[in-house]
Amino acid sequence: MVKTAGRKFLELLLSIFFLSVIIFYIARLTPGDPLISYYGERVEKMSPEERERAEERLGLNSSVSNQYLRWLADAFHGEFGISYKYKMDVTEVIGERIGNTFILGGIGFLFIFGGSLLLGILCAWYEDRLPDHMICKMGTAVSCIPEFWLSLILILIFAVNLRWLPSSGAYTIGIKRSAADRILHLILPMTVVVAGHLWYYAYMIRNLILEEVRTDYVLLAKAKGLKKRRIMFRHCLRNTFPSYLSIMAVSVPHILGGTYIVETVFSYPGLGTLIYESARYKDYNLLMFLSLMSGALVILCNMAAQVLNERIDPRIKSENMGKAPEGIGL
Amino acid sequence: MSELLEVKNLSVSFSTSSGEVQAVRNVSFSLKAGEVLAVVGESGCGKSVLCKSIMKLLPSNAKIKQGSITVNGADITAYRERDMCRLRGKLFSMVFQDPMTALNPTMTVGAQIAEAVRVREPGISKTGLRDRVMQLMDLVGIDSPGERMEQYPYHFSGGMRQRSVMAIALAGNPRILFADEPTTALDVTIQAQILDLFRDIQKKLGTATVFVTHDFGVVAGVADRVAVMYAGKIVEIGTAEEIFYDARHPYTWGLMKSLPAFSKGQDTLYTIPGMPPTLVNPPKGDVFACRNEYALEIDYQEEPPMFRVTDTHYAATWLLDERAPKVVSPVGGIKV
Repeated sequence: MVKTAGRKFLELLLSIFFLSVIIFYIARLTPGDPLISYYGERVEKMSPEERERAEERLGLNSSVSNQYLRWLADAFHGEFGISYKYKMDVTEVIGERIGNTFILGGIGFLFIFGGSLLLGILCAWYEDRLPDHMICKMGTAVSCIPEFWLSLILILIFAVNLRWLPSSGAYTIGIKRSAADRILHLILPMTVVVAGHLWYYAYMIRNLILEEVRTDYVLLAKAKGLKKRRIMFRHCLRNTFPSYLSIMAVSVPHILGGTYIVETVFSYPGLGTLIYESARYKDYNLLMFLSLMSGALVILCNMAAQVLNERIDPRIKSENMGKAPEGIGL
Repeated sequence: MSELLEVKNLSVSFSTSSGEVQAVRNVSFSLKAGEVLAVVGESGCGKSVLCKSIMKLLPSNAKIKQGSITVNGADITAYRERDMCRLRGKLFSMVFQDPMTALNPTMTVGAQIAEAVRVREPGISKTGLRDRVMQLMDLVGIDSPGERMEQYPYHFSGGMRQRSVMAIALAGNPRILFADEPTTALDVTIQAQILDLFRDIQKKLGTATVFVTHDFGVVAGVADRVAVMYAGKIVEIGTAEEIFYDARHPYTWGLMKSLPAFSKGQDTLYTIPGMPPTLVNPPKGDVFACRNEYALEIDYQEEPPMFRVTDTHYAATWLLDERAPKVVSPVGGIKV
């Protein structure tokens, strides 16, 4: 157990190392001027000497490989550099905003998790009947709407025309921070996040369950006189749950990635806007840290999915422990 | 004695993309309490569909086209899922062909048997339930049931799984047991053991059984009566003796001649030429005619009715018509 955990950790470190190399080089090889994000408009009026000095100050004057080695050495000491735009340590910049993203993404994830389970079960229960058809059709239609467009339409209806909900931000500026204000600001972005992902996972659960419904053991369960509800929940749903949990674990970064776009449209002060800005304005240190964080999240979620699966499914569990006895003959 | 199960003129069709498949066509038979009826025929003759349609376990694209099913005096032809739920497990139950897939892989075998017991006795106490599960596992010959009930199906071999499936099927003390090729997926030595088990249980509990098989050799040991099915129809039905010693239908002869025992001393085993037809558009006349070496002119024109041989023995072949030429059975009789 300790051995596999150690190996997993090593794999994680190695993946993140490769990821950091790739992002570092790609970020620096794309055209753009990182000085703009630090000095703003002033850059255009700088003399070549001033530019050189500025680049030296930010450590941008040596070769990319040298820069990377310096970054790596600092990173090992927990120093990830400053954000050019915010002129603060990147961890501080992120620390201010990560909570907002977790609220949007985390609560959104819970809604998606519960909602898709509910819809999926409903569809499977009424397979090929009206509720199933309606939910599936609606899901297909809504999934085809791009998130940014849906966001804009919702803003147009609820913020501009009806004036019920705020169109952007996480708080009303100038008002004391309150939970109610917070929730009002969350409604629209949350709706877009949930609506964008809900159907896909609901459909997945529907099909997972129906796959189980078609198996022989369901026929035997029916033949022994079990009611549909019991077969559905005790047998089919239970057997799809390991796969469902691992799918949802893998989906965490997917859903968080979805909130990035939504955050940008709603100017929601989370990591999404931050990562977008940092990539656009060459805020190298910030971009590095955010990308590595996302990467680590993807890898960790995949590992979590695997561990969950092993924990729940008795078949996988015994295979891994090497304990599955050969079928004992008659 | 009154009939426990009576099927009259039952026809079952599947609607598929290639058309309507008439899987069961105009089948009538009956089953008395405690009796074993073997249903024999090649693969794809509608044997399984017949059983599943009685228990209403067919997929939703299957429809009962005509006929009636009467169980224990009640006509269940029009019963819906909810009513069927009340009958399954208690009145009739089923053992399936493939024990490898018939058990839920993520539930312990004991729990799966217990579920079936609880269908019959919802209020049973925990210890009572455990005792009953152990008793059932003992009945079907699973050693050290206390230990094995905590295990998952993947701990069990094929034969053991089939025993578990039987324990599940018998848990509700059903009056009728449908055994859908219960030995086909097992290897030969295990087949014999499972067959013995069927016979034992049949003796102990006296459950009426419909035993589906494509192997005439299996039939001899278990059946009181035999129904031979071809292309969705029963072509011959009679007591085991009548079928084995005095078969009248050329298809029954063919099946018997295919038994390896008949080809002793010869280089090749006998086979019936050709294959059963697809049942989308069954040909006119006797469906078996084109594979039948004794086929008469009329076989291609008109379907033969069920001719009475004795009160218990009927066969659907024009050879039994008084105008037909006399043919001597090529199999005579085999020792049961």
